[in-house]
Amino acid sequence: MGDSSDEEFQNSESWVFYRNRDDWKDVEPVEQEDGGEYPVVSISYTPKFKDVYDYLRGVMKIGEKSQRALDLTADAIALNAANYTVWQYRRDILKELKSDLAKELKYIEKVIQRHCKNYQVWHHRRVIVEWLQDSSKELKFTQGILVFDAKNYHAWQHRQWAIKTFGLYEGELEYVDSLLRDDIRNNSAWNQRYFVINNTIGFVDDVVSKEVEYVLEKIETVPLNESAWNYLKGLLLHDKGGLSNNVKVTTFCEDLYMSGNRSPFLLALIVDMCDERISNKAEDDKYNLKRASELCHELATTVDPIRCRYWEYMSTTISKKAGCESGEDAEGGDGPEEAAAAGASHDV
Amino acid sequence: MILFNVKEHVKYNMFVLTHSLPQSVDPIKCTIAFFTLSSLDVLDMMDSIEEKKEHYINWIYRFQIEDENVGGFKNDQCFENDIAKCAHIAGTYSALNNLLILGDDFKRVDRVSIIKSLRQLQLDDGSFIGSKKGTENDMRFVYCAACICYILNDWSGMDVEKAVDYILKSISYDGAIAQGPELESHGGSTYCAVATLFLTKNLDRLSSKQRDNLIRWVVNRQLEGFQGRPNKMWDSCYTFWLGATLKMLDAYEYIDQERLENFVLSTQCYRSGGFGKNSSSDADPMHTYLALSGLSLLKTHKCNEVMPALNITYRAYDHLQNVHEAWRG
Repeated sequence: MGDSSDEEFQNSESWVFYRNRDDWKDVEPVEQEDGGEYPVVSISYTPKFKDVYDYLRGVMKIGEKSQRALDLTADAIALNAANYTVWQYRRDILKELKSDLAKELKYIEKVIQRHCKNYQVWHHRRVIVEWLQDSSKELKFTQGILVFDAKNYHAWQHRQWAIKTFGLYEGELEYVDSLLRDDIRNNSAWNQRYFVINNTIGFVDDVVSKEVEYVLEKIETVPLNESAWNYLKGLLLHDKGGLSNNVKVTTFCEDLYMSGNRSPFLLALIVDMCDERISNKAEDDKYNLKRASELCHELATTVDPIRCRYWEYMSTTISKKAGCESGEDAEGGDGPEEAAAAGASHDV
Repeated sequence: MILFNVKEHVKYNMFVLTHSLPQSVDPIKCTIAFFTLSSLDVLDMMDSIEEKKEHYINWIYRFQIEDENVGGFKNDQCFENDIAKCAHIAGTYSALNNLLILGDDFKRVDRVSIIKSLRQLQLDDGSFIGSKKGTENDMRFVYCAACICYILNDWSGMDVEKAVDYILKSISYDGAIAQGPELESHGGSTYCAVATLFLTKNLDRLSSKQRDNLIRWVVNRQLEGFQGRPNKMWDSCYTFWLGATLKMLDAYEYIDQERLENFVLSTQCYRSGGFGKNSSSDADPMHTYLALSGLSLLKTHKCNEVMPALNITYRAYDHLQNVHEAWRG
């Protein structure tokens, strides 16, 4: 349920309660008002938590913005790093005191390392970097977090923000490449690859062509890797010929299928190729309704049975498309039989 | 077939509602209350708290801030208004849901303040921040904003066109939707985006190709249960996020419902009641609720079904119709 308390990280033996500190005698602690006779969703606060937050309420009430108040927010954050009001008060103090923000960056680095899936801590870091207008540590920092969890959404979000805001694209593709070498299934890294190219060289023809080679090689290694297949489809969004006219891709898929491979993503892509040809009225002996139906059947029955109803639906939809269009060509309108067939398949 | 252990889940939620919780949930009390109250609603056990309803309603109103700049509901009770006066969008969203579930008449809800304050949280790119006091912005808060406007029946709280633009720009090359433009698509943000399009009557802004690609991505998330992203582990919370997404796209029938059900039931926690993220994790209020609301979409157990876009039961949704009726009256 979110971050666990940080109390264990602090040396509890040497801990002195604020209420026992001489230099805090001048502050009136403020207790939390809880839910009356029977509180709802009540929290079991430890004495230390209560003490820290009583004094934090005390300083916030009088609006004290001092070094000791700043230190107090750090104690409050150590007990719960997800309280956005505390973070905001900390920022108010930092501003007021014109504190050393480089030091703050080091502080938030440590907090994030302990609470790397918390929204508030990442937001704080972003604000500090904005204030400093110094992004020189962001790539290395997020890289450190991604060592522990290469798919940490917050870290990627922060990294993309820093790269975009400060133009830090250099070396990013190499980094992505190294992550993909570590784990070819890292979907976040594939997304980052797309992000970098889209914002730098762009998906112009020769880039698409090179990227297609790159991803096909990765697919060949692990044909069951959905992330790579999705990336391939993303690349083909930029191919003027669509999904089914890139000879490298079609040859690769046909060879893979012929070799006996039955990755559901391979079959699905060929279905999509057929679908596209049918929509564009450009069926040929490879990509046509008959093949789409056969592949959907194969997916539904043996290759991807968990999605059998989906593949049955796809098969029906594609047939309907083919049927309607040939009907239009022949007669220029829906005959009663066709309408009935369309209605029937709609119910499936 | 694994048994659906209703009694234990009621016990678990009653415990969360009335007993002491860990300090970590301190800043999201109102949301925790939503998870537990709505769980009891899905389990059709609202009668069990009948006598306390009024008390709970009064408790929810203690979170309200009546102010046209920072108004709405707080999500925590750490600071009284004289110390820190600022609502949070997730607090407002959770509080309004709680009031609907508890059958409140909304007479004490300061609609003007909420709507005026909400409008100030929207950024130029169409996304929302969580609070005036500085938070991140993303798709979660766009969804909260849409729910708030829908519940209060007042769309002047957001620039819908801008929000739709943000959503369309957040569609990834893989067909699903991210927390923001160019980020990795994700089951949670996909739900938030699709539900926002649904609530604002903008689902038709997805082209048929975009819709097809989205459905493909979502159905591909089913392993036994759903995962939130390709190549990640399954997790009971996506039973709702992705199940509800498919419902809104009229594509729920394309998944293997029996296997999904078996998975969700396997995440029941036998020691404490409630549901965990997977079969080996402890129960928590969020996974408990999202597993239950996700299960309700399957309609195989005796529980109150959840309205996919608002994530409250149709029973609570009917009450919202009454509230709207009274406002028109």
